Amino acid sequence: MTSPVHGPAGLSTTSSHSADPERLADELSRNVQRWFGRSLHIRTIDTGSCAACESEIRLLGAPHYDLHRLGFFFTPAPRHADLLMVTGPGVRAMDPALTKTWTAMPEPKVVVAVGACALGGVYPTDAFTHGAIDKVLPVDVYIPGCPPSPIALLHGLLVAVGRLVDRVGAQPFTTTTTGPAAASPC
Amino acid sequence: MTSRTTAGPRHNPVLAELATGIGSPQPLGHDSGTLHFTVTAADLEHFTHRLAETAGARLADLFAATGDPPDQVVLNMLWALDADDAYLLIQTQLRGENYPALSDIAPAAFVEECEIFEQFGVRPAGDKPLNRVAVPPQADHDIPRLGAAPRHVDGEVHAPHAVGGHAFEFPFGPVRASAQESLYYGLVTSGEEVVDLYLLTWHKYRGLEWRLQGMLPDAALFYVERAEGLSAVAQAWAFAAAVEHATGLRPDPGASRTRALALELERLYNHAAAIAALCQATGLSVGQAGAEIALERLLRVNAAVFGHRYLFGVVGIGGAQRAPDLGPLQTELPEAVAELRAVCRLLSGTNSFLDRLEATGILTTEQAVRLGLVGPVARAAGVAIDARNQHLQPPYDDVAVHPAQGTTGDVLARYQTFLAEIDESARLISELARRGATAGGTTSPRKAGSGLGWAESPRGESLAYVELDGDGSIRRARLRPASARNWRAFDDACRSQNVFTDIPIIEASFWLTVAGTAR
Repeated sequence: MTSPVHGPAGLSTTSSHSADPERLADELSRNVQRWFGRSLHIRTIDTGSCAACESEIRLLGAPHYDLHRLGFFFTPAPRHADLLMVTGPGVRAMDPALTKTWTAMPEPKVVVAVGACALGGVYPTDAFTHGAIDKVLPVDVYIPGCPPSPIALLHGLLVAVGRLVDRVGAQPFTTTTTGPAAASPC
Repeated sequence: MTSRTTAGPRHNPVLAELATGIGSPQPLGHDSGTLHFTVTAADLEHFTHRLAETAGARLADLFAATGDPPDQVVLNMLWALDADDAYLLIQTQLRGENYPALSDIAPAAFVEECEIFEQFGVRPAGDKPLNRVAVPPQADHDIPRLGAAPRHVDGEVHAPHAVGGHAFEFPFGPVRASAQESLYYGLVTSGEEVVDLYLLTWHKYRGLEWRLQGMLPDAALFYVERAEGLSAVAQAWAFAAAVEHATGLRPDPGASRTRALALELERLYNHAAAIAALCQATGLSVGQAGAEIALERLLRVNAAVFGHRYLFGVVGIGGAQRAPDLGPLQTELPEAVAELRAVCRLLSGTNSFLDRLEATGILTTEQAVRLGLVGPVARAAGVAIDARNQHLQPPYDDVAVHPAQGTTGDVLARYQTFLAEIDESARLISELARRGATAGGTTSPRKAGSGLGWAESPRGESLAYVELDGDGSIRRARLRPASARNWRAFDDACRSQNVFTDIPIIEASFWLTVAGTAR
């Protein structure tokens, strides 16, 4: 997991590594409800995974984890997405799709790199892959694991919510600029 | 390992003819159940015809390797002689850039002909258009190949398909639904009916066979498991068996049972996931939730027994890296399987579910044979092939498997095949655990050799072939997960009188991964 999150006053992230799933869920739910009006939308994209990360992400919606009760939803449309979960090592053939997905998402937005491939632990940088997602996108949260279990994904989402809250606070709502995260990906 | 003979294959008329013309079949590697011949390019077409006409012979794979001298290419055509408990590898040294168009004789060879052209620059004779398989059009000059890149590549990325009348092409992908792998559908439709469908699979091609060159097998196993994470045990077993056959290693019986235990656990969770996906595709959220509860419990059993939810790191070269903790198999697994069976009982009594599966995505027996399909997709279409039964290796020479078989070839038949296999896997796990399962293995010996390995993954027969140099490093490794075989039938299944909303149902019933084909 990345360095501690510095959210606005009142945002609780200190127990994000708690081993108690219920406390984690409560905390996550509180933050999402408070800052995103019970609605935070996730877009996923696969850049060369072995399919195991996708399996774990799908299980986030299963009854054991039930991400929806926490105010998270998967969306097929990047324009509705607040959070981009990226799996795989960044296969170069996916660059155009990854760029289009990321640029189509409105600000504020965060990128979550999911799994060992995305973090740079499996493939080197070569002609096939970038080797890690932070070589192509500004990654906010790293979720390790091969694959990360659904509970690890929940921990990562909690950190990501904190990052997103930072972005909301820094968003220049009175101007037409696109904000600080306009770095060119890929 | 059980000592093998060639008694069965010797009675095969094609093998007898091969033996008459060019000498006796030679075993490939040690006690491997694989025979190999070398034939000339001139004879290749003739023997392909004969094998294609032989009942019980199935084209399992076609791949190339760098020859000697290195500017030449060796074509490897692998036939499964399912009736004779043997694989037959026919090797042909090619001269020039062409070889006989084998897919005109055995259509199951087409995807591999395209792949060989991309990787080695040799193509079937004639001007047949070839599809792109792994190399994206925008990266033609950048992607490293296993051999020499083609000198000339057509501008088209896919062979012509039917677009006429009121039909138009609807592009979909590679970014699809949430938590789905990247895959591009070229969907030709006149509005709702699927007129034609083709897939572009290069978006996540990671060049794994290229990466494995020069690696030692023990290190390569890490990548092999990640070729298709949802078949990690099967693919790792096939690869380990190939190395063992190449070097003469023999896993001890307890380690073989450990592999089989893990393989059946892999089948259980995959079939549960496929049933959950079928429910999702048919809009049955209660059934989906029930199947997902069982799926999560099965994954937790995997973690309790072997320390990993997806069973990575179980198989080792020469045996198994981990011994199972048998306790959870006796306590938690029966409860999880009972939960899955209870959900399936309800689903099997739900007409609104069954009606969506019946007569959807039909594949005939003839199609399954023609395309060389494997696994539940083939069995549901009436083709009784199962590597656990027909290509015996420990522990299946001691533990009999009763494979499921359907007849109608539709999604319903595939669902029923899943159900029968869930029961059989649960039975096998009990029997294997009762006989005892242990860890054990060794590092791969540093010596030259060639070998073929196989295992029956949840999706069907997984194959691996290795050629090792004298220092034990990999000269050529070929990975052929079941997904690489069965995707080729997806378009046929989707075209058969289906509409858009049937496609996710058919995809769930195939339960393939893109990673397995774009490895």
